[in-house]
Amino acid sequence: MSSKANNNGISYQQALETYLNKNEFPAAELSIDETSLLEEFHPDHRQETIETLQVGPNKGERCHTQIARFLQADSRIDAADLAGARIQKTDVLVIGGGGAGCAAALTAAESGAKVILATKLRLGDSNTVMAEGGIQASIEKGDTPQAHYNDTYKAGHKKGKKELIKKLVMDGPETIRWLIQQGMQFDLNKFGDLLTRKAGGTSANRVVYFRDYTGLEMMRSLREAVVNNSDIDVWDYSPAVELLSNESGHCAGAIISKLQNGRYVQIKARAVIIATGGIGRVHLNQFPTSNHFGATGDGLVLAYRLGAKLRDLDSFQYHPTGVAYPQHLSGTLITEGLRSSGAYMINALGERFVDELKPRDIVAAAIIRECREGRGVGEGCVEGVWLDTAGLEARNPGILKQRFPKLVQLGLKSQIDITKTPMLIYPTLHYQNGGVVIDENGLSSVPGLYCVGEVSGGIHGRNRLMGNALLEIISFGRRAGGIAAAQRKNRGHKQISIDHISNLRRELMQHGMPMTTKSPILFPEYAQYDATTEKVNNFGVCDL
Amino acid sequence: MNEVLLHLNSMGNNLASWLSIFGGLGLKKALSDPDSIIPLIQDAGLRGLGGSGFPACKKWQFVADQQANPDKYLICNGNEDEPGTFKDAYLLAETPHQIIEGALIAAVANQINKIVFYINPEQTKSLDNIRSAVEQWQQNDLFAQVEKVLDKPLSIRVMESSGHYIGGEETAAIESVEGNFPFPRGKPPFPAVSGVHGCPTLINNVETLANVSHILRNGAKWYQDLGRGESTGTKIYCLSGDVLNPGVYELPMGTPLSELIYTYGGGMLLGKKLKAVFTGGASSSILTPKDLDVPLDFDSVRERGSSLGTGAMIVVSEGTGIVKRVTEYVNFYAHSSCGQCPPCKTGTFYISQLLNKIDTGQASTVDLESLVELCKILPGSGRCHLLDGAIKIVDSSLHHFIDEYKSSLKA
Repeated sequence: MSSKANNNGISYQQALETYLNKNEFPAAELSIDETSLLEEFHPDHRQETIETLQVGPNKGERCHTQIARFLQADSRIDAADLAGARIQKTDVLVIGGGGAGCAAALTAAESGAKVILATKLRLGDSNTVMAEGGIQASIEKGDTPQAHYNDTYKAGHKKGKKELIKKLVMDGPETIRWLIQQGMQFDLNKFGDLLTRKAGGTSANRVVYFRDYTGLEMMRSLREAVVNNSDIDVWDYSPAVELLSNESGHCAGAIISKLQNGRYVQIKARAVIIATGGIGRVHLNQFPTSNHFGATGDGLVLAYRLGAKLRDLDSFQYHPTGVAYPQHLSGTLITEGLRSSGAYMINALGERFVDELKPRDIVAAAIIRECREGRGVGEGCVEGVWLDTAGLEARNPGILKQRFPKLVQLGLKSQIDITKTPMLIYPTLHYQNGGVVIDENGLSSVPGLYCVGEVSGGIHGRNRLMGNALLEIISFGRRAGGIAAAQRKNRGHKQISIDHISNLRRELMQHGMPMTTKSPILFPEYAQYDATTEKVNNFGVCDL
Repeated sequence: MNEVLLHLNSMGNNLASWLSIFGGLGLKKALSDPDSIIPLIQDAGLRGLGGSGFPACKKWQFVADQQANPDKYLICNGNEDEPGTFKDAYLLAETPHQIIEGALIAAVANQINKIVFYINPEQTKSLDNIRSAVEQWQQNDLFAQVEKVLDKPLSIRVMESSGHYIGGEETAAIESVEGNFPFPRGKPPFPAVSGVHGCPTLINNVETLANVSHILRNGAKWYQDLGRGESTGTKIYCLSGDVLNPGVYELPMGTPLSELIYTYGGGMLLGKKLKAVFTGGASSSILTPKDLDVPLDFDSVRERGSSLGTGAMIVVSEGTGIVKRVTEYVNFYAHSSCGQCPPCKTGTFYISQLLNKIDTGQASTVDLESLVELCKILPGSGRCHLLDGAIKIVDSSLHHFIDEYKSSLKA
């Protein structure tokens, strides 16, 4: 995106001509040192974007600068804003209306709790619906949870928390069964057995799927189940702006901002489950993102303020192939399946520069290297390399229409004939590997506060396998929902307040932090219309 | 800062090191001339630092004048349970020896043979440290000398109070020590005449007793000079709320409020404007920005229509809702009412209900009017001061911040 955009690349037209004039694309010379490639070009390793946190439970630990800015920011609300704010009581409050939130709410309601599900936009506006590939579960003959465990642990650079991975893989088959009970469909063979396929970096066929929109189908069935459940009260357009604490500092509910009438409501709950997802829309390092509009890391901020420990705040997944042109679609994900089927990646000089089937972090770093060293397409706000859809089609006529209908659709939207013209791609910010430290029931280090899904950390270590995110949201969503529902038998909290905010402000002042930013930001910065003109321009779309 | 009670030398739980610095000197002086103690305390101008500000010497004189029946009691009151007050817990846990020495001097001065340390059960650290400190004293030679002067065995008991707020009231503490529920009694008879089991009983706050050994050691003049202006000695202020550096501060008695907040407290949080200060841990009227210059001593604060109380200063800035704060305090009082007097039992309950209703935006003008009416008819109808304290704070917040109440009403 914008500020990274440079003019040291080759212009779009010129690069396209170079591409069209070539018809042979030999494989790249593969003598690169992967470690130094990552260190030099992977965005996680940019030292200037890493800083040490000075305030809060993770004081002294490394964190991405843009996240640190939100974690060490002032709260949006003052105690006086709560004057006259209604107090609503419930057993379980779920914050977030994606897959994890729905799974938690459904399980809590099944266990007999009264649930309020508050979501920033509408129920189902989430990254869950973006998931294409499928969901992992070791259900094939010859596959075992142990193998699933080994793959997950290894892919996470052996940084994952073993107890969590154990629960995740053991829950796999039961999770699929539960999803089917909720009405979700999967692709089946003619005998009615689940079809499976293989994810990158795994040792067996373990991904079950529905077409190339598994997440959308999952969300459809969960959404229906939630809407039809009379024990779950769904609040749309109701972001949480702060958690409430009781006299001992435990989580006792949340303050919800009702966007439609501009009022605050205090929800007093015996247990709170945060399922707010990731942080893509913060556009770390000014990267485009595959994430949906609401992914602004609210949950991280809320939990951190109440004293929850976070982890791996400097580790993110950048998916190599996000759309780079046309710019209004920038960040939109193009499935890895295309490269699996043999599509090349080509720089502006018409050369292949990396083995396309390397792990995501390596490929992403290689693309960034090409662009930074002037071998990419770079003009104005647009920057990237070619993903050779045209070449793939030429070698396998008809493959695009047959196997990647969603991609063809994307081409139509872009007014590009992808069978003739390659697509310009650039890595896109895809997933937050770290998050709130949880135990095997999703409980954070703050009593009464549960975190599930992308907002939590520890399962995927420092890199996630395809298909494990969908499994995680259901597996841990259900775990947290069940445990949280059991809290309804506790005596309620005596007092609810935002006293922890005063302590935060004190600490911030004592460390001389600028108190100008307010968080959680709720919406991407370019969507905040009171932002300065400069900011809006900065993120604005520009034409070639 | 002229710290005495919180001076580094006063800290620690080792009797030998306390005696090696300057501990014990006051007690030795007391033992050598028991009759001079009360006049000395009178000269120094030591006052009851638990909230009353009543001259300590007068209380002591009453007890000293009584005949033992057959015993005399001293209750060291560490029940401390008011919102915003946390000095006694700190003193008991960190500086147990100066308190015990003060209690022993009081025993010598008033021929007291039973000392009770009456401590809030939630303060486990205070209880542990006082227990071990008392054991160290009982094995010390000075303890035997006290018994010799008294000509009686001296018993020291460390007991857990019931933990109820009301248990800090003098007569409720006596009930508690007798093993009963802490229902306050009517006065008279005053505890000095008939307290625990009908025996004359002296009740002093922890902070008051902590000062005694220092006064005996350094003399009355020294203690007088510690204070500012007319005031004597130091005071421990518990600063909390919307300030940068909350905590316990021992400052000369009579330090202005502005100095406490802006010099020692580091100023307001986020540099916001001061809106109000709840003094004495909520049971007195609210101070407002025009009172920033008030010297924090018993008489000056009383002149402004409030009271210094325990020395708790809960600071409220712009941006914090008064109604919410008041509601929290009144909830506390409603919860703490012992239920003995019907006007208090039902009065605090209804006021708390009304305030909660207003605070959550569910109340109408009628509710606010009822609240105002209740504040007029309830005061003075309880046996102790709990009800009055609750009313006072509501009443003064209504006086200063009626607009905030009105804006919380249902449209």
